[in-house]
Amino acid sequence: MSQETPDETLLQRVAARDEAAFDLLVARHQGRAYRLAWSLLRDAEDARDLSQEAFLRVYRTAGSFRGEARFSTWFYRILVNLCLDHQRRGRWWRRLTVRGGGEDPEDDVLERQPAPAADPAEALGRDQVMARVWAHVDRLAPQQRAALLLQVQEDLSTSEIAQVLACSEATVRVHLHRAVSALRKTMGRG
Amino acid sequence: MHPETELIALVRDELAPAERARVAAHLEGCAECRRAAEESRALLQALAASAPPPPAVDWGRYQADLRARVGARRAWWRQPVPTMLAAGVATALVVFAVHGLQRTPSEVVTLEETMLGARLPMLQQYQVVERLDMLEDLDAIRQLDRLGGER
Repeated sequence: MSQETPDETLLQRVAARDEAAFDLLVARHQGRAYRLAWSLLRDAEDARDLSQEAFLRVYRTAGSFRGEARFSTWFYRILVNLCLDHQRRGRWWRRLTVRGGGEDPEDDVLERQPAPAADPAEALGRDQVMARVWAHVDRLAPQQRAALLLQVQEDLSTSEIAQVLACSEATVRVHLHRAVSALRKTMGRG
Repeated sequence: MHPETELIALVRDELAPAERARVAAHLEGCAECRRAAEESRALLQALAASAPPPPAVDWGRYQADLRARVGARRAWWRQPVPTMLAAGVATALVVFAVHGLQRTPSEVVTLEETMLGARLPMLQQYQVVERLDMLEDLDAIRQLDRLGGER
């Protein structure tokens, strides 16, 4: 077992309760899993918790992997489902707990963006535009946002995104078209 | 009709040859779709290059926490039968206690009559039974029955 061992082979060993294979699989995917969960949730603690939960499910259900897709696609599906379910529960809870304080949700999102680098004015302007675009990404419909992040961050193809989101490629194209159209309008406002 | 939903697949070079040729032909005569395709390409590239990084993670702690969670789950899996059994026994006891407490005196009498009726042939064999009038003495009768069989 080495760094070259395919994920799918490691997963077979995980199914046989090989702890070292599981550790290697986690080490390979933990960074991307955490980053994707954080991009979807924008909360570090939740991203840590849910990415770990996704690995736990891999450990528990490794024997059910049928090898019809790549491990990463299967894993992303588990992770994205966990995050979308978490968001749904969160929205329900926030509706009950958040009182109308008149805050602009965009302000909160902008505050969470990393501070732009102290570059020349042009770079500063570009960073500000992108901060506004990323703030808008956070307000996209969950499926549109997930499709967009899987494409621009994880570089998944339309076909792979369809497998992760359990929908057709045509549906993914519609999600991406709507997301990009909305973001182009945001850039145009700059 | 504008091929709006195919433009992103086009700029990412994901369209099948026939589809790509059809969309490309449309773009040649449609400035609006050409602009949309170019803006989409630029936007996707800008997003890929500017994705905000998540807060840093202590990966050693992350893996240690994960191992602990795996260990906790495994410990639970290893004892599924005793756990289920204990839950089942507890449920049965609660049901029995509730039903037992709720049983009316007439139901108890009916139960005693049924038990005695079932044991009537055995009771008729022993004159000593005449001196027994309590249901609790059935154990003594059963013992006599056993002794009788050994004789």
